[in-house]
Amino acid sequence: MPELFQHQQSELAASTVKLPWLTAFNQRGADAFRTAALPTRKTEAWKYTPLTALTRLAPQQCGQPVTYTNPLVAFARIDGLHDHRLVFVNGILDKQHSSASALAAVTLFSEANAEQQALIAQHLGHVAQQSESPNLFTDLNDAALSDGVLLHIRDHQPLLQISWLTTSEAKPFTVFARLLVVLERHAQAAIVEHYGSDLSEQNSVTNAVTEIVINDNAQLQHYRLQTMHSSAQHIGSCHVDLQRDARYHGFHAGFGSTLCRNDLVVHHNQGGSHCQLDGIYVPQHDELIDFHTCIEHRAAHCTSNEVFRGIMNDQAKAVFNGRIHIHPHAQKTLAELSNKNLLLTPGAEIFTKPELEIYADDVKCAHGATVAQLDNKAMFYLQSRGISKADAEVMLSFGFINELIEQLPDEAVRNLLRPMLATRFDRDSSLTHDIG
Amino acid sequence: MTNVNIERADVVLEGKDAEIDRRINKEYQAGFVSDIESDTLAPGLDEDVVRFISNKKGEPEWLTEWRLKAFRAWQDMKEPTWAHVHYPEIDFQALSYYSAPKSMADGPKSLDEIDPELLRVYDKLGIPLHEQMALAGIAVDAVFDSVSVATTFRETLAEAGVIFMPISEAVHAHPELVKKYLGSVVPQRDNYYAALNSAVFSDGSFVYIPKGVRCPMELSTYFRINEAKTGQFERTLIIADEGSYVSYLEGCTAPMRDENQLHAAVVELVVLDNAEIKYSTVQNWYPGDADGKGGIYNFVTKRAVAHTNAKISWTQVETGSAVTWKYPSCVLKGDNAVGEFYSVALTNNYQQADTGTKMIHLGKNTKSTIISKGISAGKSQNAYRGLVRMNPGAAGARNYTQCDSLLIGNQCAAHTFPYIESKHPSAVVEHEATTSTVSDDQLFLCRQRGIDTEKAVSMIVNGFCKEVFKELPMEFAVEAGKLLEVSLEGSVG
Repeated sequence: MPELFQHQQSELAASTVKLPWLTAFNQRGADAFRTAALPTRKTEAWKYTPLTALTRLAPQQCGQPVTYTNPLVAFARIDGLHDHRLVFVNGILDKQHSSASALAAVTLFSEANAEQQALIAQHLGHVAQQSESPNLFTDLNDAALSDGVLLHIRDHQPLLQISWLTTSEAKPFTVFARLLVVLERHAQAAIVEHYGSDLSEQNSVTNAVTEIVINDNAQLQHYRLQTMHSSAQHIGSCHVDLQRDARYHGFHAGFGSTLCRNDLVVHHNQGGSHCQLDGIYVPQHDELIDFHTCIEHRAAHCTSNEVFRGIMNDQAKAVFNGRIHIHPHAQKTLAELSNKNLLLTPGAEIFTKPELEIYADDVKCAHGATVAQLDNKAMFYLQSRGISKADAEVMLSFGFINELIEQLPDEAVRNLLRPMLATRFDRDSSLTHDIG
Repeated sequence: MTNVNIERADVVLEGKDAEIDRRINKEYQAGFVSDIESDTLAPGLDEDVVRFISNKKGEPEWLTEWRLKAFRAWQDMKEPTWAHVHYPEIDFQALSYYSAPKSMADGPKSLDEIDPELLRVYDKLGIPLHEQMALAGIAVDAVFDSVSVATTFRETLAEAGVIFMPISEAVHAHPELVKKYLGSVVPQRDNYYAALNSAVFSDGSFVYIPKGVRCPMELSTYFRINEAKTGQFERTLIIADEGSYVSYLEGCTAPMRDENQLHAAVVELVVLDNAEIKYSTVQNWYPGDADGKGGIYNFVTKRAVAHTNAKISWTQVETGSAVTWKYPSCVLKGDNAVGEFYSVALTNNYQQADTGTKMIHLGKNTKSTIISKGISAGKSQNAYRGLVRMNPGAAGARNYTQCDSLLIGNQCAAHTFPYIESKHPSAVVEHEATTSTVSDDQLFLCRQRGIDTEKAVSMIVNGFCKEVFKELPMEFAVEAGKLLEVSLEGSVG
């Protein structure tokens, strides 16, 4: 792994560039990445997530478009979304399977007009740079960036799906995904950011960076779903910039893979903004999933609420780090975080650390974390009604996570996630079929 | 420690500035330097210094080697930087590593022989030995700088078979016990400051409670740093043999000083099957003045190992020190072992505290409780850092953690860093933390009923800490309440 990293750090060359601003952008990322130290077990942010599994990091994207069979598209299909969908396969836009409406709604960086170029230059990288701690893999994404997706919303954007899919390939490759979402004042939008793959053994790592700017009084419903095959790897980050009275509702779902790391950072930059950040993780077998979240309260009168739940099965391992950082002038902040975990088997592991860092006095903050097994009383209740122990376990595990899914405002997403979740616990889905 | 300088951007309650000003000139009450000749080693640390200390105490060869091993390990180690505290780099070569009161040479046999100047120091601190002996029934092993000068009630304890003596004496009197248990809980290489302590430890208490004995009285040690520029490195070792019980009290205070002083103690508790140790601390080292000048650096390693059915209870009230770095821990090794941690940490002015606990669950059905109350005032930084680890063998283990922070004034900070690691499906961990301020509503309610702001805050803070205070032995609870009140004076905002 260290060799691979050094190789990466020296190999990094700017992509085949056409955009004038991109060269400097790539250069800055490359410089930052080159000088960065390799995370080890002693690096606080990577204490529980060894990068030893990361052996596929290639300096470039999978160069050629691949041929793939139609069933792949099925993985990108979310019923009820009226085909408002953008599909990338191995990092390359697949126009054939993307809908015309979706293509019209977004702009590729490479096809942006002067005004859009200015918007990209204004925000791209800047939202991610607001974080106090440097992110090695965001730098890498900056360095390797050749194209990305701009979603500029002026008024209203119905639920739009953007899928990054990978296929099974012989050679290891990296997908660099980049999404910039800018909501103008009073705008409203809903997006599904989806990372998937076909059902065979994957040889890819996706490095995804999403930057979101929500201007005054705008609101965004954001789903970030990872449903790829367990052999696919993902290292991504999502950065949200909240302006006055902006509202962000993020839902992050991770079903786990050999290495899955997500850094979610929300910046409350202006007063009155609200953030609801929810997430689920359900790794199984020997999967690993890691969520590092950070809510930066920089302005007064903001509220944030964070709920993450996870179930670890088999030998799976999960890491959760939820940080709430209240800056000196962020008075009257209300911030809450809850993280609940279930360990189903010996061998499963959870490492959770809810953090509070508070520099203002007139605030109310609370966090709670639990690690437990299924509630004995609930088990008894079900068993006393003739449900077998195994079935009761499935029902309760499913219900534990489904509680968060039920709260999602979009039925299409609920309908997508519920069966996926059901198959995790109940392999023939006879028990969870009618629930919800 | 009562001096406060609050700049308030948004004044919530008018008219309190005058109140604050009135109290600004209040000096640290325990601040005085006793004029006693000391036998002090020149600053600097190398193998010869380690040998000198060992030789001075007439230690056996194995202990000298043990110290040297620690010293060599320490040389290869780096000062830890992960704690949420900031202080100027410590020049370990500028410190003196040995200091003993001169009068020790004659070897006092009873209280009457003790240097009257020494006794007056204790009187000023409110620890009259005679009174305590007669009234409170507490045996006091007073550590003055580095060498123990008075040990009382030894006969009473001896009747019960309890050994309570300075560790330097125990090395000679009970070498088999010291050799067996020294470093068994906190090894020489454990961490930077523990390694330093292992190399140069001055003195400390040694306690052994035999099988099935309930210690007839509460054991107590008061010590204070007295000699300028002297680091003090206590080493405490308490062994509770099977089925025994002991309650140990530790309290300290230090005279006023301009230069920062280093205090790196190690406390090791061994709790064998069915035994119980209750360890209480009131810590009131000099915290530095209102501008953050001076004060003690308190880098302490405290750890206990609990065997089957054993119980450990740590209770601490931390109000002093410029920088505190302290994590009393429990290794719950045996099945059904119980670990408890109750803590009140108060910081004011420029004080910084990074304190908490570690609960390592190894055995089946082990249980732990953590109650931590942090109070942050002035421009201070107060962090709770804790670890709860359920190892793969910890079937049916249980932990409950509650850490609350109270912020007083808008320039202080409170942090919570709880690490939770679980590797067993039947282990249950619960963690809750809240942070809030003394609310205007609460203050209004009190003031409306004729209670002034200062009293009201004191009441609210005392209520906030009640859960911890009730765990303290009675004498300490009184002292702790008083300390909190004094420490908070003038910080209302």
